[in-house]
Amino acid sequence: MTAAAGPGLSEADFERFREYFYKRTGIRFGETKRYFVDKRIDACIRNAGYDNFTGWFVALRLSERPDLQQDLINQLTVNETYFLREDYQFDALLHKVLPEVLAARGGPARMTGPVKILSLPCSTGEEPYSIALRLLEEWEHIEDVDVEIHGADIDSEVLAWAVRASYGERSLQRVPKPWVTKYFTPVGAGRYQLDGGIREAVTLHQVNACDTAAMRLFRDFDVVFCRNMLIYFDELSSRRAAENLYGVMRPGGYLFLGHSESMSRISPIFTPTLLPEGIVYQRPTGAK
Amino acid sequence: MGLIRRNAEPEQLQYASIPDLLRQLDDPDRDVRREAALGLDGVAVAVGPLLDRVAAEPVPAVRDAMLTTLAAHDIGRVAERLAVLLASDDAGLRTAAAEALATMPLATPAIIPRLLTNYDHDVRVMTAMVLANLRHPAALTWLAEMIRDDPHPNVVAAAVDALLPSVGPEHAELLQQAVRRFPDDPFLRFTIEAALR
Repeated sequence: MTAAAGPGLSEADFERFREYFYKRTGIRFGETKRYFVDKRIDACIRNAGYDNFTGWFVALRLSERPDLQQDLINQLTVNETYFLREDYQFDALLHKVLPEVLAARGGPARMTGPVKILSLPCSTGEEPYSIALRLLEEWEHIEDVDVEIHGADIDSEVLAWAVRASYGERSLQRVPKPWVTKYFTPVGAGRYQLDGGIREAVTLHQVNACDTAAMRLFRDFDVVFCRNMLIYFDELSSRRAAENLYGVMRPGGYLFLGHSESMSRISPIFTPTLLPEGIVYQRPTGAK
Repeated sequence: MGLIRRNAEPEQLQYASIPDLLRQLDDPDRDVRREAALGLDGVAVAVGPLLDRVAAEPVPAVRDAMLTTLAAHDIGRVAERLAVLLASDDAGLRTAAAEALATMPLATPAIIPRLLTNYDHDVRVMTAMVLANLRHPAALTWLAEMIRDDPHPNVVAAAVDALLPSVGPEHAELLQQAVRRFPDDPFLRFTIEAALR
């Protein structure tokens, strides 16, 4: 489509675009994603007011309009999620991981600094807010220990959704009814907004997990949830993202991946730990 | 107590200069060395200093960070030097080098024919590990060559192992032939029978 938006990219344009997007984000699209990419780029071109790929792509590459790049990232990243997804990992967090974290840090009475939990990518907020709900409802130490929950994503648009924290019934289908009543307010059209106190408590950030310098701003996390992100990266970008995740974690910190993901195929820097609920990865402890 | 929001002012990104990062590769603090190695991503002048240090780096996490940055320089000079590490006595280092080479689809294929005929069968075993994850159209062909021609049963077993995710009916004769070549090797027989099932 060096010509007009609509009929799909030419082979050469697709290849040029694919290399550009990979260098910016670490995400590489295979031929099987061709239809998906064509549709989303078409939307970007139309959103930006261009009538052809070439004009839009030149403007994108020259950074003439920063909004083009963000719209592109927003269109091409996948944000499907819901509350309490893969809930068994939250069970592991409450019953196995957090007790270990508290023990490693000297117990609730002697801890300095909060327990820090990161959800990356957090998409529209369901994951970090699910963690908050499970802790508030089920963790015995929530009144004794400070907990910081952070969510981060590359996509500014989903972060705006996360700030609004207004969800449809499909997103809430796994949330127990009493929790919905207690923590959500109906706002019409079948949507429910999360309690303002929880929204305020979760800090949201925009970040690219492959950007080492940006990821340095995240430090000393006890637990990181990074589910269903690395599967979109090629080998080298996965390695870099894994290195960056290692950097944000406290020694001994825990990393949860998606159920179909395995760190052993990406990088040897984490130590796998088998829990009844599945494998979790730890940043090794060790003296400097 | 309970859920709290982080109230500190957001930090600003700090970018160290390239000379500072190169100096930090020798810092006594392993976290500083590790972050310096990652911070040198895409810096061409860092390739030499990283190649000079990676084999001697005692901390696996720092070494792996160096390899991640080196592998992004998918060029012959890096592949040649990493290939030397496949013969290391340090199992962690040679495995890490193999994993890094597998992420270099442009430069690694050029050195594969030489690795396939390396006199050291342990290097050829590591080459099978590289080919297991290398995205290159010839990777399966090279593995088939190893299974068909390599004189050492451990190399053939490693190549079979690497081929496993892609094994199909077209490989049946190749695998059965390997069993016939090493009739006294029960491990190889077991591996191949499992593959054929």
